[in-house]
Amino acid sequence: MSSARITISAAALIALAACSAPGQQAGQEADTTGPIKIANINAQSGQLSPLGHWEHKGVKLAIDEANKAGGVGGRQIKLDLFDSQGDPTVGTNLARKISSEGYVAMLGTAESAVTLAMAPILKDAKIPNITSGQSPKLAELKSPFLFLNAPTSVTFDETLAKYLVDDKGYKKIALISNNGAYGAGEHDAFLAALKSRNITAIADEVVTPDQKDFNANLAKIREQGPEVLFIGAEEVQSGLIAKQSRELGLKSLFAGGAPMGTDVYATTAGLGNVEGSIVSSPYLSNEASEPIKEFAAKYKAVYNEDARMHVAKAYDGASILIEALKQTKGAGGQPLADAIRGVKRAGLLGDYAYDESGVGIHATKIGLVKDGKVVPESAS
Amino acid sequence: MQVFLQTLIGGVTFGAVYALVAMGFSIVYRTMGLVNFAHGSVVMIGAYAASTFYLATRLPFAIAIAVAIAVTGLIGLIIERFLRPLENKDFTLMLIGTIGFGAVLEAGAVLIWGATGHAVPSPVPTEPLDLGGIRIPTYSLLVIAVAAAATGLLALFLQRTKRGAAMQAVAMDHQAATAVGIHVGRSNAMAFAIGAGLAALAGSLIGPMLYVNPTMGGTLGIKGFAAAMLGGFGSMPGAIVGGMTFGLLDAFAAGNFQEYSELVTFLVFAVIVMIRPTGVFGETTVNRA
Repeated sequence: MSSARITISAAALIALAACSAPGQQAGQEADTTGPIKIANINAQSGQLSPLGHWEHKGVKLAIDEANKAGGVGGRQIKLDLFDSQGDPTVGTNLARKISSEGYVAMLGTAESAVTLAMAPILKDAKIPNITSGQSPKLAELKSPFLFLNAPTSVTFDETLAKYLVDDKGYKKIALISNNGAYGAGEHDAFLAALKSRNITAIADEVVTPDQKDFNANLAKIREQGPEVLFIGAEEVQSGLIAKQSRELGLKSLFAGGAPMGTDVYATTAGLGNVEGSIVSSPYLSNEASEPIKEFAAKYKAVYNEDARMHVAKAYDGASILIEALKQTKGAGGQPLADAIRGVKRAGLLGDYAYDESGVGIHATKIGLVKDGKVVPESAS
Repeated sequence: MQVFLQTLIGGVTFGAVYALVAMGFSIVYRTMGLVNFAHGSVVMIGAYAASTFYLATRLPFAIAIAVAIAVTGLIGLIIERFLRPLENKDFTLMLIGTIGFGAVLEAGAVLIWGATGHAVPSPVPTEPLDLGGIRIPTYSLLVIAVAAAATGLLALFLQRTKRGAAMQAVAMDHQAATAVGIHVGRSNAMAFAIGAGLAALAGSLIGPMLYVNPTMGGTLGIKGFAAAMLGGFGSMPGAIVGGMTFGLLDAFAAGNFQEYSELVTFLVFAVIVMIRPTGVFGETTVNRA
């Protein structure tokens, strides 16, 4: 009887040890000697895969540079890519996978909905996660292990509302946004920014992320004759909305967040249709500063394509993680989270200083689309 | 009224594309009793093929579409050839086979064209027509006209040609058709090729309206499938009516129910199918397993 108890107790102890968080008991030896395992989780297939591909290239560039320069305290960083498919369910499965396989940190995802789903699992496993999502809901979690590469939609849309209403005096503003995690965040943040200025949107149309035909929604908006149409959607959908708006004869200015500063938005809509679009973003162009020019040239040399915000965002996040890993000598868990929070870095997207919500950047700039490219508003 | 008419135009345009997708589903189903789950992916390959020939080789759009139809027609023949040994033996394996082909086509598209996709400029650069404030994009008119012409040609083929009549005979009774010397395998192959050609036509036409990417076939496939069911699976007039109905339902739901539009669309679809399980033009189903 007693030997059975001993066997059960031993089995329970072994099971507990196996379930412990990475960087704790399990694999302690590997933590100090072997390569440092970093997971990059992003959509590599599915509708959102362009973002995931850009993000991975940005992350890989930073990690490859660090490894060439000797790694972290002589240890190489082992970067493993996992495909989240842009799907929260797949994301949670991957979060469990990396938490059981000794990864000390995670970079990604580009989608707020996936990051939101993964956050509780990564928090329990004490795995710091530097994400490119920007939904205000991410900051509301106040997870000590979640860090944002970019401002939340609140910052994006406050800057936009200030420019449109305070600086330019527009009052007839309409909204069209989708009800996905990103679109809903943009919708709520922009509406709040208008409300704080005593402006009521003259139309507020909500579409689904998969919707392709916006004739009904845009015809209703057109009846109100807005001066500005705020678009809260991802790159392709923003482009389709802009294109169909012009086909319907809507003459309003288009305004929105970072997706509208991409070539996907411009080519989907047609260059002529997006001329003059107003973009709020922390990363306006590859020519904005000397460090950005150098980064863009470096990226072009490696991947033979132009850099863009998602690449720069991911590069910034990976660089911050590397800096923090150097401070912890490769250790993960709470010390790594604390080190990330302490990093102060002049990045490509701005000056990083993480607050208690995990938000690293607190300002965006206004750009205008000219010939399919974004130029800073002041230079236009 | 303007909102109503503008919604109608959007609904009819997308409805015409759904009708083409639904006809592709139906022609395979009525001949073989098989739902081709790879059909949505064939639509995507058609969109890629047409846009690639249109943009990269600068072929005229109409010729690019013809080449895309030839490419997907060949894919249809290959799928049928792989499934032929299972005909009359294992229906479930055939279904799974089509799902597998869909996955292979999507992965193939990523390998050939990459995961990011591309935008396709409209081949009709003229401004939309303005009829008292109602804007009708000229490209929408082209889509509707081409879909109508394709439907007419298919009807002529099925009703006025020997091969078409043979396909109809196989659909009605494949054993009797075999007895009178009709090659059932060849008839099935033709159904797959025509179905894939219709998918390519739908994909080619929708390319300039959307953004061509490896996963675009998912939504189009589901909506085309639902349209085929709504009209009556296996019925060609049903596919047209189902496609148009689904397009309009989708458009009006978007205008009136906003973020709940998809929920409403599929709820209405479910209610119609519950009341009339065989769809509007429901025919006797075929099961050759």
